[in-house]
Amino acid sequence: MTPVDRPQLSDAELTDAEVEAIVREAIAAEASSARCEASPPSSAIVWWRAQMRARQEATRAVERPLTIVHAIAIACGLGLLLSIAGVAVALLEGWAGPVSLATIDLTSRWITLPATAMLVSALVTSVAVYVIFADE
Amino acid sequence: MAEATFVDLARLQADADTADVALAMDEEAFRAFYDRTSGALWGYLSRISGNRQMADDLLQESYYRLLKTTAVFESENHRRNYLYRIATNLVRDTKRAPRPVFDEAIEMANVAAPNTGADTESRTDVRRALGRLKPRERAMLWLAYANGSSHAEIADVLGLKTASIKLLLFRARRKLAATLQRQEVR
Repeated sequence: MTPVDRPQLSDAELTDAEVEAIVREAIAAEASSARCEASPPSSAIVWWRAQMRARQEATRAVERPLTIVHAIAIACGLGLLLSIAGVAVALLEGWAGPVSLATIDLTSRWITLPATAMLVSALVTSVAVYVIFADE
Repeated sequence: MAEATFVDLARLQADADTADVALAMDEEAFRAFYDRTSGALWGYLSRISGNRQMADDLLQESYYRLLKTTAVFESENHRRNYLYRIATNLVRDTKRAPRPVFDEAIEMANVAAPNTGADTESRTDVRRALGRLKPRERAMLWLAYANGSSHAEIADVLGLKTASIKLLLFRARRKLAATLQRQEVR
């Protein structure tokens, strides 16, 4: 029964069998039309593209540890440089005399500069790791 | 565990550039499976998404994800259902992504094949009616009537409970039939 010669019924009047027939006919026609339209790429092309993409992903996966190592190395290097700078400043100002635990002044540059350097180092490392994974 | 040096990492990188990468199927098996399923999957994707271009893109992506999966398949049917599940999720994700507002019914109608006469008009009506359904309803009806999938298979593909498929399918059928009837009356 084509849509043209099917009797016009309201929604409530359609029996389950009629609904089933209408839907089956409509989807079958549409599926047949889709089969005619379908022009998927050849299996060889899809396989080749998949190989290329998988290879690129494998390369990226191998590169990732190198990037992480670089980022951590740079962060640690920066931290170390800042620590050395802190000690150097303290030495230049003649503060590096004999030190005992009781006499340590937590507000002195001897303590605050290296501590700041370590904090900065940790911060840079966190930022570097975030940037690497955000890029992923 | 041995630690990798920079030289080892560079060698691995070079290997990855040249060697064959491990995929879930060998080439011969994949090509046979693809030839059996790609036409039907394209039809499913084009009618569920309502967009031929999207169907082309998602077809490639679906097979790629199938090839990259580590899942073990008991049968060809199981593998095919898994492929349809990937495709369904891809359509769902694409629809969720921000994109220009469009009339899905009109877009569905634009999927029309070049043809003339009452046949084309009737098919455009079907597409418009399908476009008025929810994507899940379209998928369900297509799987049931175009692919001949069982309720269990539909549930597997759409991530639903098998027990709920009968009722959902009943409602989707009613909705499509009613929309088609209304279009004919107009």
